[in-house]
Amino acid sequence: MMLLIMAWRNIWRNKARSMTLISSIALGLFAGVFVLAIYQGMLKSRIKTVIRDEISHIQIHHPLFRNDYEAIYTIPQPEKLQVRLQAINEIQQISARSVAEGMLATGTGSNGVEIRGVNPANEREVSNLDEKLVEGTYFNTGLKNQLLIGKKLANKMKLKLNHKVVLTFTDRDNNVISAAFRIKSIYQSTNTPLDERIVYVKRSELNPLLAIGSGAHEMALLLKNDESLDEVEKRLQKMYPQLSVQSWKELSPETEMSITTVNQFSIIIIVIIMLALAFGIVNTMLMAILERTRETGMMMALGMNKPKVFSVILLETVFLTLAGLPAGLLLAWGLSLYTGSYGINISSFAEEAMSSFGYASIIYPEFPFQYLSDVLLIVIITALLSSIFPAIKALSMPPVEALKK
Amino acid sequence: MWLLGLAWKNLWRNKQRTLITMAAVFFAVILASVVSSLQKGVFENLIKNVVSFYSGYIQVHQKGYWDEQTLENTFYQNPETERKIRQDPLVTGIAPRLESFALAASAELTKGCLVVGVAPNEEDKVTRLKEKVVRGSYLQSGDESILISEGLSRRLKLRLGDTLVLIGQGYHGATAAGKFPIKGILRFGSPELNDKTVFLTLMAARTLYSAENQLSSYVLSINNPDKLGKITSRLKHLLGSQYEVMSWEEMMPDVKQHIQTDTASMSIITGVLYLLICFGIFGTLLMMMVERRFELGMLVAIGMKKIRLCLLMLAELVFTVLSGCILGILASVPIVIYLKLHPITFSGKMAEIYERFGFEPIFPASTDPEIFLNQALVILFLALLLSLYPVFRVLQLNPVKAMK
Amino acid sequence: MRYVFLLFTLISFQLQAQTAYEIVKKADEKMRGKTSQSQMLIRTVRPTWTREMEVHTWMKGTTFALLKIVSPAKDKGTSFLKKKREVWNWLPSLERTIKLPPSMMSQSWMGTDFTNDDLVKESSALEDYTHTIAGDTLINDRSCYIIRFTPKPEAAVVWGKLLVSIDKKDFIELHTLFFDEDGSLLNVMNASDIKMMGGRLIPTRLEMIPADKKNQKTVIVYKSIVFNKPISDSFFTIENVKQLN
Repeated sequence: MMLLIMAWRNIWRNKARSMTLISSIALGLFAGVFVLAIYQGMLKSRIKTVIRDEISHIQIHHPLFRNDYEAIYTIPQPEKLQVRLQAINEIQQISARSVAEGMLATGTGSNGVEIRGVNPANEREVSNLDEKLVEGTYFNTGLKNQLLIGKKLANKMKLKLNHKVVLTFTDRDNNVISAAFRIKSIYQSTNTPLDERIVYVKRSELNPLLAIGSGAHEMALLLKNDESLDEVEKRLQKMYPQLSVQSWKELSPETEMSITTVNQFSIIIIVIIMLALAFGIVNTMLMAILERTRETGMMMALGMNKPKVFSVILLETVFLTLAGLPAGLLLAWGLSLYTGSYGINISSFAEEAMSSFGYASIIYPEFPFQYLSDVLLIVIITALLSSIFPAIKALSMPPVEALKK
Repeated sequence: MWLLGLAWKNLWRNKQRTLITMAAVFFAVILASVVSSLQKGVFENLIKNVVSFYSGYIQVHQKGYWDEQTLENTFYQNPETERKIRQDPLVTGIAPRLESFALAASAELTKGCLVVGVAPNEEDKVTRLKEKVVRGSYLQSGDESILISEGLSRRLKLRLGDTLVLIGQGYHGATAAGKFPIKGILRFGSPELNDKTVFLTLMAARTLYSAENQLSSYVLSINNPDKLGKITSRLKHLLGSQYEVMSWEEMMPDVKQHIQTDTASMSIITGVLYLLICFGIFGTLLMMMVERRFELGMLVAIGMKKIRLCLLMLAELVFTVLSGCILGILASVPIVIYLKLHPITFSGKMAEIYERFGFEPIFPASTDPEIFLNQALVILFLALLLSLYPVFRVLQLNPVKAMK
Repeated sequence: MRYVFLLFTLISFQLQAQTAYEIVKKADEKMRGKTSQSQMLIRTVRPTWTREMEVHTWMKGTTFALLKIVSPAKDKGTSFLKKKREVWNWLPSLERTIKLPPSMMSQSWMGTDFTNDDLVKESSALEDYTHTIAGDTLINDRSCYIIRFTPKPEAAVVWGKLLVSIDKKDFIELHTLFFDEDGSLLNVMNASDIKMMGGRLIPTRLEMIPADKKNQKTVIVYKSIVFNKPISDSFFTIENVKQLN
């Protein structure tokens, strides 16, 4: 008990030193945590986009379909499947699509495209397609052969609203089919490579061209919450072994790579910051010890044994650290909250790069609660380890010598 | 002058104190240098990976080729041009290429593909193409066979020894049609390249496209990525208006932006690092001043002018910090060299993913001397800046109070 | 829509007041026979080079067509076979037949200003467009109707509209302007050198000129043509193509 009081008093006796140490701990913690928050924010945002705007949680296909996108590999009896899936609790929304790879041609040129035949209402629920519109209207009920095209592709081919394009692709029997469609809306997402490739039409119009009746090639499932992903995926794979059931993680390995990279990166940054912190602590404490040789010597001469002296020094460090922690955390949390709602806009210098990888250029940092306990632990351990060396130094001087100083 | 002598003596009078302060600076320099060199190394490696996949650091084309990449925009191979390029001491490799599109056909399927005619040895020097062969063997000069990327071979259901048919548009309206036995299968990290490319010898490609002596590009490698801009403009001047010379930054601006963004975020981290280092050094300096209050007060009391005292302190600090910096540089050099020769590798999931994309799973270090110098200078500057505060406090010293 | 391979005329009819549709129908019918066989020269002209091919063609209605390249030597024997909407390409040097995939359809055919798609397009002048008379003009001393072709909404054609000048006396299509939907001119086709060949009065020289490229065009010159000589369906098979040398 007395040790605690001693440690406490020691701290306040030299305010300047203590404040320096507290500030550096607070700063280190703040920096580390806030950087983590930025990366977490970016990552979460990307995953959310991948799931809500691009791939959904799970997709189901005929096992051979994704090799070459041949029209013949449809999911058998899609309506029945859809009904059964809808009955599963965790599934929120389903969109059944027919998909064909083909060419989009105008008078002046042509480009490879992925043509998605969708049910407009379902698609809207599953991938927020209507929210990405920048021009035109989303699938009017009365009009025929409407096409929804990405802005990047429209610009590339000098197309505007109401322009006609000819889509060419192969049907189920390998016949080459051409059909004219008219651009009724243009969309833009944060992922330019997708904008350049994907066009949407009504499934009811694409299917007869593909000669697949009421077939579907792809079912995209949106779950009610993200956590149930693995469990639902396994369940569906068991229920339908004859179909290919895949989650966004398998469909987008680049996203998985981003996650792993960012996480690893975060760890490295923490290590670096901790190193700098440790070094700061060691140095400051060393100086302090040196300054207090007389005092330490006095304590030992008066009968305080070595382990006790050691503990006092350690305790001082712990107190200082504990004092710095809340400050650092609070600052990080506050800034995360603020920037989390307003966002940090880096579009001025990074928009093109971000969108070519599919990232939005406004970052919403998210306080990394899941890392918190680890970070705190690391900081405390760093502080303790850093104080060991100075503490040992303090003990190394015989009391008589110390008193002489 | 005697001030300096006194400063020196003071330093050695209290070895521990001096050493601790020097150590603060010493470790700061090491930490900053190592982090900086890792950062630089990682970026250079990233660029190297991305660039050497395919595009090379610099390319030379017929003017207008980049905007309209057709056979009609190829140029006649001129040994004079090559000689001019080779003259530049920083260019380490020149790979000539003839590229175009074609339909690749197997017995049942046809797929569009990119056909690259290369000079096998030069190409390997610049893009390490040979390493990408996973089955079969690499091209030799004079071969009439073809290398196919893994993804394409899978889609066409072709194996080593099978025949690949290429059909397309040739030069000046000729038809391009040819049959080639598959000599090797290549694996690229980039899915784009892995699904769509085939490689022929330059001669075979020229025959296929009826494009005698034509080239679509020279792909260059350089030995100092920092000098990219300089080399590019030098070559632009040298080769004249018939050609266009483009660096990878011009050809892949989104990668460049990506790196810029990453660099920016790394600078923030480095900034935080410096700040923490400052705190460390500051604490040390502060302690030093506090500890010597008595001594300093004494000096002033017996008549030393405060200015002189300040200079004395400054001299001491400069010595200490300077030696700390120099020792720091000396110590970081072997550390960084070690890291360069034995780069930190990571394993597990992350390594797997990196390898799948064709990147080496390492954190390389860069031994660019500029790094050490820069870091040392920065720390020196910071340390001296920080020392102004305690020195300033000296000016306000009240000798009586100090000696209590 | 191009009348390239099927431009022929019948003996001229009496001029009657006729609707645009009738005019176009007549012009269209003059282009067809039950069958036709021809020898033509195709010249591709570019700013820096020119290439000439000699091609033999066989056609049956709008369903079957066979084109065989006779010169230059490097391309001799290369053939294109069309059955309805599918096109196969036979390459004797490779001894290979490939079926043209959708991605190739909009590519240039043999380096000319025509696309592979043009080979395949069934003559849809009548069904895919609505026609109106837009005026009169004089081309090479021949008085012509100008007919505006507007694509029907469901027609799979890339053009926004066509202006076709059809000779009033002989119903020969002499001049066609191809526009995109914004009204920009994309291509121009001219027909000239009208002579009797194979028993009909036809233009024997056709030029296809892309509007946005300088010094570039493709020229087709008919050397001979025979109409309605019977050709059996089995002529239009790959096996036959391979043998045809």
